[in-house]
This record gives sequence, C-alpha cells and structure tokens, in this order.
Amino acid sequence: MRLTRREMLVSACCGSAAFAGSLLFPPSAHAEDEALNFVERTLGRQATMSDRLRLIMPAVFPTGYTVPMELKVESAMTEDDYVRRIRVFAPQNPLVEVVSFAFVPGRSIARVSTRIRLAKPQDVVAVAEMNDGTLLMTKTWVDVATNGCA
Amino acid sequence: MTPPTPRIVVPSSARKGEVFTVKSIISHQMETGLRKTEGGETIPRKIIHKFTCTYGGTVVFGVDLHEAMSANPFIEFSLVATESGRLEFIWEEDGGGVYSVSHELLVEQ
Repeated sequence: MRLTRREMLVSACCGSAAFAGSLLFPPSAHAEDEALNFVERTLGRQATMSDRLRLIMPAVFPTGYTVPMELKVESAMTEDDYVRRIRVFAPQNPLVEVVSFAFVPGRSIARVSTRIRLAKPQDVVAVAEMNDGTLLMTKTWVDVATNGCA
Repeated sequence: MTPPTPRIVVPSSARKGEVFTVKSIISHQMETGLRKTEGGETIPRKIIHKFTCTYGGTVVFGVDLHEAMSANPFIEFSLVATESGRLEFIWEEDGGGVYSVSHELLVEQ
C-alpha cells in the first residue's frame, strides 16, 4: 500500500513534536528531578544538589559485584562546619540502601572509598547531612554489565 | 570455611595534626539474602552490618553497611593524628559475631 501524502505529513509532525519535547525536557533535567524526588520520598526531607559533595564512580564497569566508589565533601570538619554522615542509595537495586558513613569533626575527614553492588545501570545517589541539618546530594550514572545483587 | 579475617593497613606513626589514611578489609561473603540455592531455597542474609573505628577510646568513624556492599568489604578512610594512642577497628556481623583488630599509633609533636 502506498503511503499517502497525509500519512507522511502526520508522521513528520509527530516526529518533530517528539524531538521538540526532548529538547524542552532534556534527559539530564529529568534524571536530576527523579533523584531529588527519590531522596525526598526516602528521607522525608528535601536535599539540594551540590558540587561540594563528590561521588566518584566509573561511568562504565564490567561487573556489578564490586564497583569502586569514592566520596568526598569539601568541609573544614570543624565544630562550625562538618559532615555528620553520608548515605548512599542505588535506586534500581532490589534493596536501595547501600551504606552510611558517620564522621566526627576534628577526628575524621569526609573522604571514603569502598566497593558496592549494583544490580543494573543506574544513577547512584549520595546524600550528605551537614552539622546544621542541611542535606546536600549528588548522583552519578554507572553502567554495569552484570547484576551484582544476584 | 575460614572465619572472617579482618586486616588493616595504617601507618605506625604520624605527626600531630597530620591526616593519615586507614585501609580496612574483612574477608566475608556478605550474603545478601537475595540468592537462592539450586533447589530454590533462599539463602538467608548474613552480612557485616557495622564497622567502627575508635581512637583513644572515642568513636571517630563509623559505617552502617547494607546488602549492597560488596563481598569482602573494603573501606578506606582518613583520620586526624591527635595524640598517641590505640586505634580499635570493630566489625559486627548479623547474628552477633564481632571481629576486631587494634593498632598502637605513635603521634610525634
């Protein structure tokens, strides 16, 4: 059956509407909203995305069983300004809570390294709780080739 | 099966005020509770769920580990050398198992 001109016009319009939609709502803004909403649902409080908290993980990793993860927060770690704890979540894992690190001002530095399990490619989310109660958060996308939770 | 074996890498001395790094690891399956046997039975969860570091008797760093931590949990962290004293590293396992290692740190002025 030959494509009519009407059919070609309709499909062209749908295609450009979808393209325009993806420009208005780029994947990065959507992923950030998802992460912010996830934290609010999980912790019952709002966190702010912040560059002070660095979540360093490989963008691509061959196994989901031992994915390296480093966390650091720019903080003096004095009584006036310190990180109480950092919590890490893997929202796409069967059990989303990964680990929680607690620090003491003047005694420990807000910097840790470890290895975690990821079930599938996802945005790993970290939330730092500061001494004044502020929640800072960040996320990073990790593409794992195998399910580390199985 | 060999019991969980903890190991620590930490300097023997540091200058007062200096930041030093500790590497800790314990051999442990970290059974997530999500795996099944060939017969279809779920293997129960058994993990190290807590790691604590005390320095001169005070807790200076702590970790709550959940199922998504890898087997043989490796944790690297940094402390401030405040005074000479004992560092204790304690791992707590589901079911009550406790494993620990201690280290005497010399802090020079």
